[in-house]
Amino acid sequence: MSKVGRKRARAGYGFISPSLIFYSIFFIFPVVFSLIASFKRWNGLIPLFSAAWVGLENYKWLFGSDLFVSSVINTVVYSVVTVVVGIFISLILAVLINGSKLSGFWRLLFFLPTVTPAVAIGTIWGYLYRANNGLINQILGWFGIKPIRWLTDPKTALLSIMITAIWAGIGMQILIITASLQNIPQDYYDAAKIDGAGSFRIFWSITLPLLRPILLFLTATGMIGAWQVFDLPYIMGTNAPAKSIMTVSWYVYETAFQSLRMGRASAGAFILFCIIFVANILVLRAFKKGGIEGYE
Amino acid sequence: MNSKSKRFIKEFFRYLIIIFAAFWMVLPFFWMVSASLMTPQEITSIPPKWIPEKPQWHNYIDVLERVPIGKYYLNSLLVAGTATLGVILTSSLAGYAFAKLNFPGKKPVFQFILVTMMFPVFIFLIPNFFLMKTFGMLTNHLSLIVPFLVSGYGIFLLRQFIMSIPDELLDSARIDGASEFKIYRSIILPNIKPGLSALAITTFIGQWNNFLWPMIISSFSPNLMTVPVGIQRLSLAFASAETQHLVLAGLVYQVVPMLIVFVYFQKNFIKGFVVSGFGNV
Repeated sequence: MSKVGRKRARAGYGFISPSLIFYSIFFIFPVVFSLIASFKRWNGLIPLFSAAWVGLENYKWLFGSDLFVSSVINTVVYSVVTVVVGIFISLILAVLINGSKLSGFWRLLFFLPTVTPAVAIGTIWGYLYRANNGLINQILGWFGIKPIRWLTDPKTALLSIMITAIWAGIGMQILIITASLQNIPQDYYDAAKIDGAGSFRIFWSITLPLLRPILLFLTATGMIGAWQVFDLPYIMGTNAPAKSIMTVSWYVYETAFQSLRMGRASAGAFILFCIIFVANILVLRAFKKGGIEGYE
Repeated sequence: MNSKSKRFIKEFFRYLIIIFAAFWMVLPFFWMVSASLMTPQEITSIPPKWIPEKPQWHNYIDVLERVPIGKYYLNSLLVAGTATLGVILTSSLAGYAFAKLNFPGKKPVFQFILVTMMFPVFIFLIPNFFLMKTFGMLTNHLSLIVPFLVSGYGIFLLRQFIMSIPDELLDSARIDGASEFKIYRSIILPNIKPGLSALAITTFIGQWNNFLWPMIISSFSPNLMTVPVGIQRLSLAFASAETQHLVLAGLVYQVVPMLIVFVYFQKNFIKGFVVSGFGNV
């Protein structure tokens, strides 16, 4: 390597070193630490290395635990439903808003939850969902619908939380879909109109195919976020049976910091991580097929 | 049916759907503000009330006397602000190295950073907690800041921006004898301002809304409570029917200022989110 090249390489190492030091302390070490802990019976009060090695016991226990298995199912249902339904609703609204008057105002309105902490969103919706004196049941009552015990009935608790999550997420998705919509050349639409295509036909044959990359992108990034969901279920689920609303993040938190079963919690974290990893790879493959280079 | 009335019907349904959706967007915010001015009896009345009989402005004073909301704000501002500065600094330095400097091992290291983004937060809760304990940081703000000083996403985003700066610009500075750090400071940073502000806005909002980690830390050090943790504590502490007005007034204090800032700087915010959502532009 030339002298200049060496100098530049040294600078390169220098510039990435803060990040690399960070990753070795806050990424590599924690992952190894968690993995080891997942094979131990450990309460967090004694040093990890002196805790008893129990092999796969934590993993076996979790697969036999109703609560853990339901928390995995809840997390998967939550992620798939909120992302897919959320993007579908956002797509419709983005297209409708794009051709409307006051479009900037509408988008601003839908974006407000993005700058509101999920904790506050969950608390406010908790009031609206109240069975006897909540606004939602009152409004439904005007249309003759009987009161629903949204957050206390195990059948509707997760659904209620998913509705709130979709409500909170569409603003950001509308914004990103809109930015893509506005990149579609007007000529395409003009040509289709000359050929006599109706609005639905135009949406189906022009808008949708051209938006496919961004819809896949939103699905992939949305899933990565949704798998980790903690705030909304934790805030809104206090009055529902744990099995109906608990997510894996919540389960890990509860097991580690309330029950002090750090080993078991670590094993739970790794089980979901494996599921997420496979799911992410599947989504990223769809990504590539959809014609997106994505992250390299 | 002629085309004029057909268009009318189409537009009618367009606005019907938008206004229906907009109603549900506004309703929670509207009710939060309205209920924060009600008496506790009005908040829990059956059927529910939409607006207070007589606005109870003193709710806002009562809650300040019982909850240190100002302190939550200071904590949140300090934590989100410092973490944002850290992310900007580490991401721009590493982004420059990955975009423009050649060194052995560059590709695998970059791929490693992309992979780190796939790891969910809950794997790190337990080990990071013990790291903070070992470093003696559990009782101060560093425990809320240090684990968030580097962002794989930030490195990726700024690398994209820096790659679009022409090499000739850097080479001519090098011929003039500028060091790599000088180039970083006087050429790279000024040329990626849109990327920096997008990353700053999204990082700040992300940290501002962060809940799980600050909750774990502040269950050991209550003086470190941030705004979201404060909101949650508020609704637990004043859960009884007679103190509901305090919960709602507290919520307004914690939600509305951020909304005002957002509406005021809406152009920057929205641009920031769009830019960071794409990973380029």
